[in-house]
Amino acid sequence: MEKYITGNVATNLYWLGRYLERTTITLREISTAYDKVIDIDKDAGVKLYDKFDVKLKYVNAYDFLKEAIFGEHNANILNILTNARENAIICRHLLDSEAFGEIIALHALFLSTYNNHLEIDYNLIDQAQSLIGEILNARSRRDHKALSDSFFRIGKIVEEADYRIRFHEEEDQEIIQSIFKEIDSICESLTKDHEELPKIRRVGGATKDDLLTSLNAKVDKIITG
Amino acid sequence: MLEKSTELHDKFWEIFSQQDRNKIDEFKLYMDKFAINFNLYKDGNFIEQSLPFDVIPRIISKKEFTKIEKGLQQRVQALNLFLEDLYTDAKIVKEGIVPQEFVEQASGYLKEFVGFSPSKKIRAHINGIDLVKDSADDEWVILEDNLRVPSGSSYPLSIRDTYRKIYPDFFEHMKIDPIKNYPSIIANAMDYVNTGGLNVVLTPGRYNSAYYEHSYLAEKSGALLVRPHELTVVDKKVYFKNYNGKLIRVGSVYRRLDDEFMDPKFFNPESLIGVPGIVESYLAGNVALLNAIGNGVADDKGIYYFVPKMIKYYLGEEPILKNAPTYLPYFKKDMEYIFNNMEKLVIKDVAEAGGYGVLFGHEMSAIQMEDLKTIVKANPRRFIAQELIEFYDEKCYLNKDLQDRKADFRAYVVVAEDVKVWNCGLTRYALEEGNYLVNSSQGGGFKDTWVMEL
Repeated sequence: MEKYITGNVATNLYWLGRYLERTTITLREISTAYDKVIDIDKDAGVKLYDKFDVKLKYVNAYDFLKEAIFGEHNANILNILTNARENAIICRHLLDSEAFGEIIALHALFLSTYNNHLEIDYNLIDQAQSLIGEILNARSRRDHKALSDSFFRIGKIVEEADYRIRFHEEEDQEIIQSIFKEIDSICESLTKDHEELPKIRRVGGATKDDLLTSLNAKVDKIITG
Repeated sequence: MLEKSTELHDKFWEIFSQQDRNKIDEFKLYMDKFAINFNLYKDGNFIEQSLPFDVIPRIISKKEFTKIEKGLQQRVQALNLFLEDLYTDAKIVKEGIVPQEFVEQASGYLKEFVGFSPSKKIRAHINGIDLVKDSADDEWVILEDNLRVPSGSSYPLSIRDTYRKIYPDFFEHMKIDPIKNYPSIIANAMDYVNTGGLNVVLTPGRYNSAYYEHSYLAEKSGALLVRPHELTVVDKKVYFKNYNGKLIRVGSVYRRLDDEFMDPKFFNPESLIGVPGIVESYLAGNVALLNAIGNGVADDKGIYYFVPKMIKYYLGEEPILKNAPTYLPYFKKDMEYIFNNMEKLVIKDVAEAGGYGVLFGHEMSAIQMEDLKTIVKANPRRFIAQELIEFYDEKCYLNKDLQDRKADFRAYVVVAEDVKVWNCGLTRYALEEGNYLVNSSQGGGFKDTWVMEL
């Protein structure tokens, strides 16, 4: 059983989980908005990126995809995947080799599309989603190392919690609570010999940002080495 | 010039002729997908790139490899005895076999370590010995010993798996030695000298040229991959810092940092990397370092000249594998020979590595030779000269065509209870036709090496 892991590798596994989940969520949202931009609601992309605090400008559906995926803003998919690739390289010795290879391939797919000025269409999103599916399948194999999986998993679900709190807090209350429980459970297993960690709970009057801050503060307490 | 074809080669070409050559491209795709990289800094920029790979393997018969194996075991055994002797009794120096002054002027000699004996008295644990096959007499010749942090083993290990998937026919129809045992040989070497605690692979970090290899060997050998600041020294003992802040004792460190970066408290206080206090722990016998600090004296290009003498001195045996004929301008007679025959010699700066500082007499103008003579006269210990070995080319499949390239062979020799020679190695080929420099840092590529029988 895997027992030891450096703080650096644990941090990179955590962020790998976050960035992959962020890519998954963002691509899903882009797909939904793209469909609307075509002929239902031309401003669907603007509304989506407002939630990311990004003022997105585009002239048509194709242009929306291009600006959403490669535009100069924080939610740029290529930037997210560049970070994920870097995380994966640092902790590659703890990743399934197939999962690692697919992460590199996923980044390469976006990089070559960008560098070669290839046409950006729905195929790119399809291919990316398929690769992410393969990465997550490889990660879910039973022969995985429990400790490194915990850091990857917690990154993934913290990102999901972050997204649901920002975008769908009211309708996703139950899901958010169940994610909090899972985060609590993983955190406890990772810190069982240490002081009790605070529970993530929304106290009356607290803002979304307060809740997100308490979520991140909890995770920060796990990796102390 | 190519080596005479054998039945093994014929069998290879017969199978090769039946293969789909378009699939060769899959090797590059595989290396890119799995980021099997050899990183470089060029003009201040960090460049990640895969090492060029050639699909035609070097083929060595089992019989021939057995001789190489015996020769390397003998050589590495002698080199270990030399290091242990040099840093303790120094009998070889006292008896005049190796001149004292010559040892003391070696940059890798660290007099601060005199009197210290490491765990199990092994100093050169994981070694890379570079050889070429001389076309003049069909004999393997040692070109260089690498007893500090030799790299490269992960590339053939990685590519062999791919080779088996892309072209299984070769492995179904030829008896090629499997090679997967190398990480377990490394793990055994770490276990053997472990002073009590974890095995770790110490990497300078993600931006090191061989980070891929560090990560690969840690994973496959079951050791933890750590960066210098993830280790700490308390009461002369080395500890690993777990993610939760707990300290776990370390007993064995396969370090991939050069001596001078190991410990800022001991070597360079300005250094930002290294593990402060690790040398003190090592000297107290509380941790094993693979390879030992101070090994640079034994793989010094000048000391290389004395290795055949070491074999005779320590083992009472004739060397099984020969050195390239070497001359030391340090000796007056040799200096005369070098100056009179410079056009046919290779002159090497002992302070350089990676193919740098190598000058070929036949490529130099008369003025350049005169300049070099002046430099050699001023500092004879800094240079050696060797007869140019016309070593064999290997067939390479480059740009969809078969071409000949000079190729060497780095064998990996690992010392624990006994001395093991890995039945594979890194065959490196030169980028251009006729070029003798095969180093990865000079743009050279690599091939798989098949030790096999019919």
